[in-house]
Amino acid sequence: MREWKHEIRKRLAGSNLLPEREAEIIDELSAHLQDQYSQFRSGGATDEEAFRSVVRELDATDLLPELQVSEKIVRSDPPAAGAASTGQWIFDFLQDLRYAARTLRKSPGFTAVAALTLALGIGANTAIFTIIDTLVLNPLPVARISELAAVNTTQQKMAAQSGELQLLSFLNFKEFRETTHSFSHLLGHSNPMAITMTDEREPRRIFVELVTANYFDTLGLNPFMGRFFFSSEDTTPGTAAVAVLGYSAWQSRFGGAPDIVGRTIKLNNTPFTIIGIGPKGFKGLYAVFGPDIWVTSMMAEQILPAPQRKALSDRAIPLLTAVGRLKPGITLAQARAEMNTIAAALEKEYPDVNQGQAVALRPLTEAAYGPERQGLLFGSALLMAIVGFVLLIACSNVANLLLSRAAARRQEIAVRMALGAGRGRLLRQLLTESVLLGLLGGVLGFLFGYAGCQFLWSLRPAEYAQNLADLRINPSVFGFAFVVSVLTGLVFGIVPALRSSRTSVSEMLKEETRTVGRSRSRISLANTLLAGQVAVSLVLLVVAALFLRSIKHEYTIDPGFETKHLALFMLYPGQAGYDQPRTEQFYKQVRGRIAGVPGISFVSWASNLPLWGRKETGVTIEGQEQRKKSEAISTVVNTVDLDYFATLGISFVAGRDFTQDDRDISTPVAIVNDTMAAKYWPGQDAIGKRLQLPQGKHNFLQIVGVVKTTNYQSLGEAPQACVYLPLRQNYSDSMILYVKTERDPSATLAAVQNEIRNIDPALPLEDVRTGTKVIDQALWGTKIGVGLLGVFGVLALGLASVGLYGIMAYSVSQRRREIGVRMALGAGQRDVSLFILRQGMVVVFSGIAVGGGLAFLLGRALSRFLYGVSPNDPLSVGGAALVLLVVAFVACYLPARSATRVDPLVALRA
Amino acid sequence: MAPVEDEWKKGSAELLILSLLEAQPRHGYDIGGLIELRSGGMLHFHVASLYPLLYRLEKRGWIQGRWIEKADQRRRRYYRLTTEGRRVLAVQRKKWQAFVGAVGRVAGVEHA
Repeated sequence: MREWKHEIRKRLAGSNLLPEREAEIIDELSAHLQDQYSQFRSGGATDEEAFRSVVRELDATDLLPELQVSEKIVRSDPPAAGAASTGQWIFDFLQDLRYAARTLRKSPGFTAVAALTLALGIGANTAIFTIIDTLVLNPLPVARISELAAVNTTQQKMAAQSGELQLLSFLNFKEFRETTHSFSHLLGHSNPMAITMTDEREPRRIFVELVTANYFDTLGLNPFMGRFFFSSEDTTPGTAAVAVLGYSAWQSRFGGAPDIVGRTIKLNNTPFTIIGIGPKGFKGLYAVFGPDIWVTSMMAEQILPAPQRKALSDRAIPLLTAVGRLKPGITLAQARAEMNTIAAALEKEYPDVNQGQAVALRPLTEAAYGPERQGLLFGSALLMAIVGFVLLIACSNVANLLLSRAAARRQEIAVRMALGAGRGRLLRQLLTESVLLGLLGGVLGFLFGYAGCQFLWSLRPAEYAQNLADLRINPSVFGFAFVVSVLTGLVFGIVPALRSSRTSVSEMLKEETRTVGRSRSRISLANTLLAGQVAVSLVLLVVAALFLRSIKHEYTIDPGFETKHLALFMLYPGQAGYDQPRTEQFYKQVRGRIAGVPGISFVSWASNLPLWGRKETGVTIEGQEQRKKSEAISTVVNTVDLDYFATLGISFVAGRDFTQDDRDISTPVAIVNDTMAAKYWPGQDAIGKRLQLPQGKHNFLQIVGVVKTTNYQSLGEAPQACVYLPLRQNYSDSMILYVKTERDPSATLAAVQNEIRNIDPALPLEDVRTGTKVIDQALWGTKIGVGLLGVFGVLALGLASVGLYGIMAYSVSQRRREIGVRMALGAGQRDVSLFILRQGMVVVFSGIAVGGGLAFLLGRALSRFLYGVSPNDPLSVGGAALVLLVVAFVACYLPARSATRVDPLVALRA
Repeated sequence: MAPVEDEWKKGSAELLILSLLEAQPRHGYDIGGLIELRSGGMLHFHVASLYPLLYRLEKRGWIQGRWIEKADQRRRRYYRLTTEGRRVLAVQRKKWQAFVGAVGRVAGVEHA
């Protein structure tokens, strides 16, 4: 065979082709020339003739320029520092990207496992971030939220202790609005209140807020449809019956009817015209719970329940939270100072109602949460940290996978380096690959996260679904998922990439992939990562177990009242247009009829829902009036009918229950709980003592009974003072019917509802709950949180055990020869599997030791959020460690068993 | 007949190669030989222009070369048509047909 290669090489001189490429071209062309040569020879040409013909054919066209066009010659010598242009950089990047995509496509199994692992981690993070973004980072979709501040009042001396905030009365609000120079606008809004809405169909319970006409304008909002309030509609009481409907209420309650604007609906029996639809996603100024509809403050009398009906003219009735937009250049502190000056003036002018009141001014972002803020922030931070750890586990799993692959790719990398690729260039290539993998995981993860969020949000209590905040997937969630994906790619890619690109070329080329010695250090790095995973999994499992035990304890908390055999019916006869005599008649009639229903032992009425206690501040105790100046007394106040204490199973400590004779013409009386009695009449008998409520129309109330303290606002709360008032002396037109049943209350719900419908079919009866459900709802947030912790703990455990299994299996496959030698030298199957198992379990145990320490530290930080469980609860810690050990043992045992199947002969020959 | 004009040849070269690879993968020598054979000797690509052309098509992702060693034969690089190549071939065929038709109508040559 002629030396064709030599001929071609001569013609390629100075081509600057990459050496490997040049060799390939020479191979291919010389094969062609040899074919031609053979053809000429078989046609009868002599060796010399055939050779010359072939060379002539080769030179018929100039090879080099043609090739340079088609090859776009890449310079093999690295460009001088700083010489690389942006164009070159982009070119390299695109090349890297194509190469990375090809590499990933070539090993679909690896790519799928890695992307899925990452997707679980990124998905968990996206889901939690979406929730945090909605509730914490971006709670209210209003314009320039940082300029907005909420104004409430607080009892000066109490502020430091409880920080309990109160609403402003309408008249005080007006004073603030007219006097302030710090705010360009000051709006007022009430809390969401349950009212009865009647359109063509049956009456329904919805939530309304009274707002001042400038409400939407101050917030910088635009109507989705129609218009907002004119200021002329908020000047004369009771004249402008117009309402703005919230977007989601429009969707859910009116099916998004396009002709909604101009329609008339009845709110509490007063016809209102809908003038507009609020912006999509806006549900009032509380981050978590919002109203369905807004009406102007001048409609207070038509909307509010009887005791508050004079809210527009009575300075003692709290009604509004004020929210103002700060004028440019005014700080929060300046505004606070000004507001306090106004408050001081008000106190001077109207001392009887404004005594001791100070202004509480907070940024709206903070005020949007109310008292749940701390728990929410803590929960968010905890969950974010946990999903962060889950992602770290996923990252270290993928890093381990990459390390395994790096061993297989050593030859490829060595060739690239031999061909002149610098370390930096190689690193970039490898990182491009891992970032691409990260992004792939990110896309999947985003979908997982989205689905997870939807699922989570579908668990909201159905009664309030449209009043609770909607989860919003906005650009910041996309941005978050993208950044996390890229960072993830860098995090899990950097260590394997640094390793792969470090070893010297000659060493790598010389080495056989089978060699064991080198992968030792690789395995030790992998082991460190694994121990870390085990540690983090243990921490997550312990935290999940602690909270699980804690919530179990919370369910066993005795709230102090009956829950198992209790049913509640919310009824608002006043909202159906009943006047006082008719309402009182109704209460009596219902009690009589329901008491006759079989299976019912007691029936009563009360103004408060269990665990939704209403508090009043400024109670005066006879003989202790001095106290009033220095410290306002704050108590829960509940208006109740006869038999209330029997219905709820609250026992008497002293005195008597309310009776038929406690009527409007008799002495005003009250019952207090033992906490109140012990606090304000220590060592004395409270019976016969007298107290006065701040809003009371009565002078002094005489205490006739003392009952046991129960939970009034949350489960397991510190004991609070409570005052009970008899319904007959304290008329209210919206009450809750309490029914105590002999058996499971759900069986009697229908019978009770029937009786009420028989009395008046026009009364809305949507909100019916059993006592157990009340407890469930009180623990809803905690339950979701604990559920999430559990899911993430299991996810972490799953990822870590898959990682453990993978690395053990890999190490067994790498050490087949060693195992073969051991077996050839007489090691039995037992010895071999013990040997492998020991190796894995050493990693697991060190992980558990580290994780145990971390869990101990974390437990201390969490202790104040745990109920009835010590942060070092042996059952939680031990249980989590045991679960982890069992799973880890299985993950190690499977590879260990396969190691015993190594045939020494096969292993040694390979 | 004398060989056709160089420019014409260049214009049709891609189409010729893609068409030949449509049915089965072939190596470079095979491709060059078939072009000459089937054109009755009218079309001939020199080795120094045939291979750069193949490399260019490969770079564009229309064809893909792979070294294959068959029993009792030299190691050769076989080219096969990629999915993208198949698509391009269909488009080019159509265009070429339209082009030839147009030239025929203008120049008054009977369509083959």
